[in-house]
Amino acid sequence: MLTDLRVSCAPHISKPLSTRSVMIDVIIGLVPAVVAAGYYFRIYALILTSTCVISAVVTEWLCNKILKKPNSLDDFSAVVTGIILALSLPPSLPIWAAIIGSVFSIAIGKMVFGGLGSNIFNPAMAGRAFLTACFGMLMTSWTVPATIDTTMPKISAENTIHARTQATPLAWSKQAIKTKTGAEVVNEQFKDTFTGEVGGCLGETSAVALLLGGLYLLIRQTIAWRIPLAVLASAFVFSAIGYLTDNTAYASPLTHLTSGGMLLCAFFIATDPVTAPLTGRGMWIFGIGVGAITMLIRIVGEYPEGIMYAVLLMNAVTPLIDRLCKRIPAGGKPSA
Amino acid sequence: MGNPASNILSMKIATKGIFTFAGGTHPPQSKELTAESEIQRGPAVKQAAVMLSQHLGAACQPLLRKGNMVQAGQKIGDSDAFVSAPVHSPISGKVKDIALQSHTVLGRSPAIIIEAYEHNPTKRPVADKFTEEFDENKYSAEQICDAVRQAGIVGMGGAGFPTRVKIEPNPQFPKETMIINGCECEPYITCDYRIMLEWTNQIMAGIKLARKASGCSQVLIGIEDNKPEAIEVMSTVIEKSPNRDGIKVVPVKTKYPQGGERQLIQAILNKNVPTGGIPPMIGIVVLNVATAAAIAEAVVDNTPLTHRVVTVTGEAIDEPGNYYVPIGTSVEELIEFCGGVTQKSAKVIVGGPMMGIAIADLTTPITKTTGAITVLTKEQIGKAKFERQQTPCIRCGRCLEVCPEHLNPTKIAHAVKNNLLDVAESYYISGCMECGCCSYVCPANIELTGYIRTGKIFLARQKKKIPE
Repeated sequence: MLTDLRVSCAPHISKPLSTRSVMIDVIIGLVPAVVAAGYYFRIYALILTSTCVISAVVTEWLCNKILKKPNSLDDFSAVVTGIILALSLPPSLPIWAAIIGSVFSIAIGKMVFGGLGSNIFNPAMAGRAFLTACFGMLMTSWTVPATIDTTMPKISAENTIHARTQATPLAWSKQAIKTKTGAEVVNEQFKDTFTGEVGGCLGETSAVALLLGGLYLLIRQTIAWRIPLAVLASAFVFSAIGYLTDNTAYASPLTHLTSGGMLLCAFFIATDPVTAPLTGRGMWIFGIGVGAITMLIRIVGEYPEGIMYAVLLMNAVTPLIDRLCKRIPAGGKPSA
Repeated sequence: MGNPASNILSMKIATKGIFTFAGGTHPPQSKELTAESEIQRGPAVKQAAVMLSQHLGAACQPLLRKGNMVQAGQKIGDSDAFVSAPVHSPISGKVKDIALQSHTVLGRSPAIIIEAYEHNPTKRPVADKFTEEFDENKYSAEQICDAVRQAGIVGMGGAGFPTRVKIEPNPQFPKETMIINGCECEPYITCDYRIMLEWTNQIMAGIKLARKASGCSQVLIGIEDNKPEAIEVMSTVIEKSPNRDGIKVVPVKTKYPQGGERQLIQAILNKNVPTGGIPPMIGIVVLNVATAAAIAEAVVDNTPLTHRVVTVTGEAIDEPGNYYVPIGTSVEELIEFCGGVTQKSAKVIVGGPMMGIAIADLTTPITKTTGAITVLTKEQIGKAKFERQQTPCIRCGRCLEVCPEHLNPTKIAHAVKNNLLDVAESYYISGCMECGCCSYVCPANIELTGYIRTGKIFLARQKKKIPE
């Protein structure tokens, strides 16, 4: 007979879903990009990635200890932050800088706000912004992928300083805008930006790997489809405006979509649910904002790339967007 | 797209649902446990506890005293209020006591406890008294309404709104369309499904009587497309029936909570009932199939509502099935009748797993609105759910996606959690119908529905609608 009767609110069954399973899905989605990074930037890419992951996890553990909060490592969100931060770093960044970035991401980007779910800014982007502010030179030197120049010494922890550097497609694009010529040369690189055989951040170079991971997340319904669509569509429209006005000065929309952090952002950074709006309309505004600000910086601004600032700016206005885009009930507002 | 139901007319019996509502989710159906089990007679009870409040509206006053004799079918409680329904004794016997009993919603609530005579014939279903040739024109609209009121019929799908008030003509809100709810979207439950298969003629008679009483010109029977047999049987009986103009079956997509009346109206008529309002405001009456069957029995056979079909199910039940049970039977007696439970640790739910109420007192009686007793095992509920472990909200928005009322469950729940009832109201907390979709999908395992329900109770207290 029944001796252990439980009572609780309905419903009494739940979907087999947890924060951890959501995060594991994101990690699986990031695998192609990590593999591509390993292929183009060899062993140092993997060392950098593991450094970021390990220091992110250790930082979260320490913060929990200091703040006397329950252990939260089993939700794997620190691992996701570590990987995304690593993928947005230049391949030649020294390990100590990567550690500083990861510690800032977790400690200041997430834990001081109260941990997962309470942070205002995307932790990985907060860490990257901190690194850009502190070590501008290191954050803007780009090594050539090891697959292009086999004669060059293999990149490793000891000889990153000696590695050959190269301008990224976005740097060329900026140059083209300034000199009003040469955009078609940038466009010719489309094949390379698609496969990833160009200079750039670790995980941002290979468009095909990011698309693969993004597709997985969309099929699994782990991320909201509105945000990637809004980001890419608005970036497409704004870059198309430039391209149609003067195609010798402005690179083509496809080049813009596949180069820099655009795809990593659209599928993995802007879709971070904690720092993006909740409602459908809010997601559209957020995504369009990210795409538009990025293109504004890329085309008009001084920097060649603007993803990071775009995401952080839109993160800051997310509570406002949520407030403006309230959902109206299916039956309309109550009359009383 | 205008009125999608009008497209159905020309089709042969199509069992695939085309229409549905926005939002919702797909919990495992688990109906195979009892779907093939025919309606059997339930236990011959020794005692029945008939709650004096089994419906929305005013509670009944007892018409007898302790020690009085009662006959099966005798009226034992009634109220003068307009929104109310009398209660009747399911068995012949003696009034043992008028005392407080556990009620699933109202807590401890008064009930008339009747001790049965030794030789008490158990009541049989009356479905075989009805044929396809049933003609409702023998009865006048007033006669039907009166019989429905006297028989104490209430909405048997769960809400328990007195049926007479629903079907009676109301000059303020003229009725045009009647929707018969045969969706049964709640997992595990199969009582309505079995009624549709076995009592088809009786349901049809009830539908025609209700149509006559309400003056509706159109009757749409909504059935989820996971019940193709029910769709076929109901469509066939309509084909053979006289006065069948305007009555048709509309298969709808299988999705929880398709059987919510607001969702069903949205699916088949593409109309939205105003938030906080009721279907009559837009000229619609929604009746459950079991209610339709009860109407037919009340009008034709003059029998009050004293028995109903209850699905006793769940993996922890030894012999799950559908039983014709006297109202007032205790949950414990019914579970024992079905072979008892197979586990020590379990959750006993009055209703299904999505909207049902877990009870701690097994003497809780069956009421007019109890469609099922579901007994779930610890494993099924899930370890996290059984031990109530929550993680912080990651604002993933899944609760917003599934909310059939297009609300913002996480915002409402967190407002209630922080005791900000005005914020909860600004997110339209009153629009929630507590279907449980948000809690079901939440990856952080947050009891969103629980918080929202709590918030609604706090608000009602604030407005002095109910005492503390």
